[in-house]
Amino acid sequence: MARVILRRLVEMVAVMALVVTIVFVIVRVAPGDPAAMMLGPDATPQDVADLRTRLGLDSSLVAQYGRYVGGLLTGDLGQSIFLARPVGQALWERAEPTFFLTLFSILVACGIALPVGILSAYRRGSLFDQVTTTTAVFVASVPSFWLGLVLMQVFAVKLGWFDPSGYGGPGASLGERLHHLILPAVALGIVSSALIARFTRASMLDVLGDDYVRTARAKGMGEARVVLKHALKNALIPILTVIGLTAALLISGAIVTETVYGLPGVGSLVVSAVLRRDYPVIQGTLLIVAGLYVLINFVIDMLYLAVDPRVRY
Amino acid sequence: MNRSVRILLSSAIALVGIGDAAFAAPARGGVIDVATIGEPPTLDPVSSTADLVGIISQHVFETLYTFDKAWAPTPLLAASLPEISADGTVYRIPLRTGVKFHDGSTMTSKDVVASLQRWMKIGSRGKQVATNVVSVEADGDAAVKITLKVAYAPLTAFLAFNNSAAIVVPAANNEDTLTKIVGTGPYMLKERKPDQYIQLVRFDGYASRPGEPDGYGGARKQWLDEIRFVPVPDANTRVEGAVAGQFAYVDSLPIESFDRVKAGKDKPVMLKPFGWPMFVMNTKQGLFTDLALRKAVQAALAPEDMMTAAFGSKEFFSVDGAMYPKEYVWSTNAGTEAYKAQGATETAAAMVKRAGYDASKPIRILTSRQYEFHYKMALVAQEYLKAAGFAVQLDVVEWATLVQRRADPALWDIYITHSPFLPEPALIGFMSDAAPGWWTSPAKTAAIAALNTAIDPKKRIEAWAEVQKVIYAEAPAYKVGNFNALAAKAPKLEGVSPAPWPYFWNAWLEK
Repeated sequence: MARVILRRLVEMVAVMALVVTIVFVIVRVAPGDPAAMMLGPDATPQDVADLRTRLGLDSSLVAQYGRYVGGLLTGDLGQSIFLARPVGQALWERAEPTFFLTLFSILVACGIALPVGILSAYRRGSLFDQVTTTTAVFVASVPSFWLGLVLMQVFAVKLGWFDPSGYGGPGASLGERLHHLILPAVALGIVSSALIARFTRASMLDVLGDDYVRTARAKGMGEARVVLKHALKNALIPILTVIGLTAALLISGAIVTETVYGLPGVGSLVVSAVLRRDYPVIQGTLLIVAGLYVLINFVIDMLYLAVDPRVRY
Repeated sequence: MNRSVRILLSSAIALVGIGDAAFAAPARGGVIDVATIGEPPTLDPVSSTADLVGIISQHVFETLYTFDKAWAPTPLLAASLPEISADGTVYRIPLRTGVKFHDGSTMTSKDVVASLQRWMKIGSRGKQVATNVVSVEADGDAAVKITLKVAYAPLTAFLAFNNSAAIVVPAANNEDTLTKIVGTGPYMLKERKPDQYIQLVRFDGYASRPGEPDGYGGARKQWLDEIRFVPVPDANTRVEGAVAGQFAYVDSLPIESFDRVKAGKDKPVMLKPFGWPMFVMNTKQGLFTDLALRKAVQAALAPEDMMTAAFGSKEFFSVDGAMYPKEYVWSTNAGTEAYKAQGATETAAAMVKRAGYDASKPIRILTSRQYEFHYKMALVAQEYLKAAGFAVQLDVVEWATLVQRRADPALWDIYITHSPFLPEPALIGFMSDAAPGWWTSPAKTAAIAALNTAIDPKKRIEAWAEVQKVIYAEAPAYKVGNFNALAAKAPKLEGVSPAPWPYFWNAWLEK
């Protein structure tokens, strides 16, 4: 077990080193210039060149890369060009809405997907199964931003139950802030539920025909116990994987939904950083998101080991 | 009491009631949320020409001058308009005394000199002025003196403008990259949470000018306790926010949402006219170094169709070749005969032929969908240019790429942009020799010199007419028309006038 963990940690470091380099190169090679964005429409090319010098963007790529990696080794993700604060601080400030949005979305997604997936598998071929399977295909095809706008239209504009956008003003309590996350979490949760439901159904179908399930039934065990305790436990590995990957995707991928709802999360930070070419923020955010992916994959692998002792690496 | 007397009395009472409602006294207190198009790239208005920076920072920082209702420069931190020497090269600017910064210190000429030097060092507009400045020095504690190489009449307007602005900050804070947001404005920064809000609170030590408000000038009343600028980058979300009444003011709404906003809780505010879209031509390199081809483009384009495609109803635009609409003192039709609302395809085709245009070299139009109306105009222009015999290549990129590419003359022939109507012609971006487009010519130099050195305002207006004639004669850029801007405000928000850079001092909430 210790050797597995050690090996995986070494692999994680190598992946992260690769991510740092690739992100740095892609960001610099892409067209656009933070100095031009900072200075606005009436700046002359000479003004832009002057600001590039002040920002240290006129030095060679190798020198900039060296400075960046040097900073990373001391835990410094750099300084945002536009936000007047370190990248680490900017990310930390965005962690709360993104964390809770992800959490609520996963809760909504699981709350819909697990019962639907389990019941579909249990009643395979029934009208319920056909309707939910077809609906899942439809829901998976719905863009979350479109659903977000529809929910906003109904529940915020027409019914007035929520503010259409934002995350609360100065002094807003945690409860008030979280209230702003309900609509986007429902939008993201519904869209994410389709994939989880389909995986749950498929995984349950695999195990419901197994011998041990038949044996459990033969022993006179109640159906609920057979399905929820014996079958579900063994079907959990692919379901956990897809939930984990959905969570990772939500952390980074709620980009459009956060923008539509004006939420100051990691997604909107990435969007604004890309639009402005705030290199340090793009690099720092992608690095952290990639790190989270790597970490979540690592945790999922460890969960495999815990859930199914037959798994070996 | 007979019936007529009763009717008279009740009418009188009703009129008094209406009068109270219509002329309710401004009430002190309240907080407003203002939805903006996004997070500003900086809060330092010296270092950016972005309108959004100016809109927010003008509440915090102040300049020596600003603009009154008629867009004439008027004193703000200066005590009066500058005393200008007979040859126009020395500006003595008396300063107001007793003006406090948000940190409690008192503004002196030392702060003003340091601030102007910073502006001339890092501000795009300041650098433009700096080439003509011999010195900036204090003249006692309450005046500064600017000495120029040659007369430069737009100087006061440059000192008044709110982006790339000549703001006054304490000399002690005078770093290139401003770290302390300390100004003299009616509101001061309390907290900035990027992409969430910028919270401004009333500055109790504010020294307002006496008298009545007059555009951006005159008295600045601080009725509101707080102003919060909330970035809402998605235009649809801003519309929904206006319809739901989430914000007291919503800036920059898509014009096509007018009817929807009208039916919502906030009410539409139309600034008519707001600005002008333009096709800037690259006079430095490529096809449009040839004046004959630029003139052919000028003849080929059909602004009426382009504006209709971009803005829909005529309620939201007008087809007008004058660089300034009639609301401005600069408005003139001089030279605009070349502007044809329907285009002149046959004339343009003949011009293209005469110029010996090589159809293997397409016109590269650089545009973006950041502003959908740019793209829509580009599509219409493409067809009219093709009809005139040009080959056309649309290069549609995102805004940051456009802003970078336009700096390289090898990469484009036309780029599309727009501007609000600016109070002073010298502030117009493409007029600078160094601006992308790189328009220079002896006729331009002479016309601009006359405009910049004429001190008498009437002579300046005449000089501007000559500049406009040169613009039409040399076609460095094509003005498409005038368009309106749409915003929305809560019914209870009073004291806000439609403005290109909306401001909220003098605004109050009806109780």
